[in-house]
Amino acid sequence: MMAWLVRRLVASLAIIFAVVTFVFILIHVAPGEPCAQIDVDVDPIVCDQLTRQFGFDKPLHVQYWRYLVALAHGNFGYSFSLHRPVRDALAGTIPFTLQLAGAALLLDLLLGLALGIYQAGRVNRLPDVILGNTTLFVYSLPTFWLALILLLVFAEQLRWFPVGGPNDPILCPVVDSLYCVADRLWHLVLPATTLGLVGAAGTARFQRAAMLDVANQDYVRTARAKGAPERRVVLRHQLRNALLSFITRFGLAFPFLLTGAVLIETIYAWPGMGRLAFNAILTRDYTLVTATALIASTVVVFGNLLADILMGVADPRLRVRAGADVEVVTA
Amino acid sequence: MLSAMSRRSPFIICGILAVATLAGCERRGGCTGSFCGTLINAAIGEPPTLLPPSTEVVVANDIGEQLFLKLADVGMSENTIGDEDFQPLLAQHWEWDGPLTLVFHIDPRARWQDGQRVSAADVEFTFDAYKDSVVASPFRAKLRRIASVTQRDSLTAVFRFRERYPEMFYDAVFHMRILPAHLLRSIPRDQWRTAPFGREPVGDGPYRFVRWQAAQAIELVADSTFFLGRPGIRRLIWRFTPTLPVAVTQVIAGEADVREQLVTPENVERARAAPHLNVITYRGNVYTYLGFNLRANGDTSQPHPIFADRDVRRALSMGVDRALLVKSALGELGKVPPGPMSELLWIWDPNIRQLPYDTAQAGRILNARGWRDHDGDGLRDKNGQPLTFRILVPTTSVLRVQYAQLLQAQFRKIGVQVEIDAVEGAVVTQRTSSGNFDTVILSRGNDPSPGSGITQTWMRGGFGRSNVGRYYSPEFERLVDRAIAEPSRDRARALWRSAIETINADAPGIFLYALANVAAVHTRFDNTQIRPDSWAALLRTWRIPPDKLIDRDRVER
Repeated sequence: MMAWLVRRLVASLAIIFAVVTFVFILIHVAPGEPCAQIDVDVDPIVCDQLTRQFGFDKPLHVQYWRYLVALAHGNFGYSFSLHRPVRDALAGTIPFTLQLAGAALLLDLLLGLALGIYQAGRVNRLPDVILGNTTLFVYSLPTFWLALILLLVFAEQLRWFPVGGPNDPILCPVVDSLYCVADRLWHLVLPATTLGLVGAAGTARFQRAAMLDVANQDYVRTARAKGAPERRVVLRHQLRNALLSFITRFGLAFPFLLTGAVLIETIYAWPGMGRLAFNAILTRDYTLVTATALIASTVVVFGNLLADILMGVADPRLRVRAGADVEVVTA
Repeated sequence: MLSAMSRRSPFIICGILAVATLAGCERRGGCTGSFCGTLINAAIGEPPTLLPPSTEVVVANDIGEQLFLKLADVGMSENTIGDEDFQPLLAQHWEWDGPLTLVFHIDPRARWQDGQRVSAADVEFTFDAYKDSVVASPFRAKLRRIASVTQRDSLTAVFRFRERYPEMFYDAVFHMRILPAHLLRSIPRDQWRTAPFGREPVGDGPYRFVRWQAAQAIELVADSTFFLGRPGIRRLIWRFTPTLPVAVTQVIAGEADVREQLVTPENVERARAAPHLNVITYRGNVYTYLGFNLRANGDTSQPHPIFADRDVRRALSMGVDRALLVKSALGELGKVPPGPMSELLWIWDPNIRQLPYDTAQAGRILNARGWRDHDGDGLRDKNGQPLTFRILVPTTSVLRVQYAQLLQAQFRKIGVQVEIDAVEGAVVTQRTSSGNFDTVILSRGNDPSPGSGITQTWMRGGFGRSNVGRYYSPEFERLVDRAIAEPSRDRARALWRSAIETINADAPGIFLYALANVAAVHTRFDNTQIRPDSWAALLRTWRIPPDKLIDRDRVER
């Protein structure tokens, strides 16, 4: 198991390195350059000065090598568009993305799990049919469209929730009281619901199928035959064995959440990393784009690794198989 | 475990709902009287820094108006000639000491917010910083005709110019916000762009900096001791929003108080329908045009096969019904510009001679230039080459993309085929600066001086920069140079008129629309003066009468 874990870790680091390299090259060869984003009338002397100052005049491989050396020293570089260290920019935005993605993930998994279990217990009956079609409908909705509709209805028309931003700028510019924690949650409702609902619809469909897969297994029938209460059969015997699909879904949720966050953060003015990355791409802020790609790929890769580990924890057969593989490799 | 969780879940949900309900309620605060009040501006985009020489981002300028004073500023007339229409700020008064020397006397009451007196040394330091290529200020080129700035005594700054011209005073005061030398002198200038001062500035203006929360908001508070009078609104907040629709929605939903530009007729309608908003129209500072590339696409050394021909350009211009386009796309929000200018400029004159909309005449000119429909396919061609070109337009501007489609339909009527290249803004900039395009729809912002924008975009000095189509007319340049040098405003206006009529006749572009600015402002604000070149310039004079204060105006923190 340990050798398997080490092997996966090395592979994960290699993937992250490849992603960063790919993004670094891609953003540099994309048309447009940072200086041109300042202003079309920017003085050429000014532009040359800034280009030299940020090292954009150097050949690509030199810039790449410098970037890697700086990265190895924990230095992400300076953001051309924000006039500040990339590290500071990331430190200011990552907590917001974590809050949004965390809340959305919670909604996605809990609501999806609950719906999947509920539907599997009423398969082909009216509630299952209604929920099946509803989840399919929600799952097929474009996230940005759903965001705009929720914004229009619940923020502009009904005014139940704020239009955007993470807090009330007057009462709670910083979260320093219980009231401001509540204010943050209130501001989180619409963006997290938008992101979480679509995910929950997908999770529900996965979970329903997984529950039905195990519904006719011998151990489930045996439990029922022994007279165990239905609630116990479902939660202990059926759900426990259907959790593998749920864990797979957990691993797959990370890329979805991060890509979805770019749109959601832009629409709801949520000051997270997705919005930061989006602006960085538009302004050709090379160091910032590469840094956000590094963080995003790390989260996705390690999220999947975590899912794999959880699979091993949940299913002893996978642990044995992983151990056997190690023996084969090391033999 | 799971069953325990499920038993507790209703309580958890109720708890969250209770907390959310609590958050939904506003707390009553205690401030009363004339100097309470909070203004929240729904701003699009965030400034990279608040250090004035390092950025010309509009939001940074709006906030800079509150933090750092100029020596003097343009008046509501936006007249940039001479000095009679300028309003004193840091300079209490000024006088001319000969034709090339301008002497400013600093108001002795002016103080930096750390208590230090504002001095002539600050003015000298500021000029030196703006001119320093290491600081890389975007305003550097605009100060090229000022030879030096020195201090005669602690409150007297002396500007010496290289030459005499009507906008000497404007150049001396408009581009520079005076900086605190005692706080910035020790910072190496190559580090100014990233200096902490830019994110936590100490100014001398009517407001003090309070906090900057990245990607969220910047908050300022009124300086009750401000030497030109206590500002009427106690707190200003710029709340950053990435998109215009969300910014407008925030104002309509009452979460923000001001959106200074609504931009589209739909947004204006939404704002007009909101009873708590005043809609204020003021002169816009942007015009939009379809620019022809006079050099070959991708090769600036060769003439363009279509647009190098002046007559063809004129014919294409005559084939576009600009008034109809403005009416259908912008309604009352736009005007057909009489040349390459926004309505902000004092030379704006609808009576300037322009090419008429005349498709019959356009057709005759194209026929005369050999562009006929030889093969009967409805498209003109010449020597086997169809009359076809591409319009480059940024995807970020819905309005410009819409205009590209409308132009496509209009050109089709005179037998010209147009394809649209809608690409990202950075790509538009890259392609226009390298000359890799046929035509492009661009918007240009003007500062109040006609001499600055027009010379940059339509004269030889702008080649490779904002004169993307490489238009060059010796006659136009001669007239512009004379207009800029003319001290009499009436004679200058006549010269500008001749110059604009010359460029209109040459048709290096089709001047499509000049957008009026429309602001939405909460009705509780009084004295909402807006100076067209900078909506926030007079913000310190805005007020909220005590009987119109709402809860968030009274909040003490």
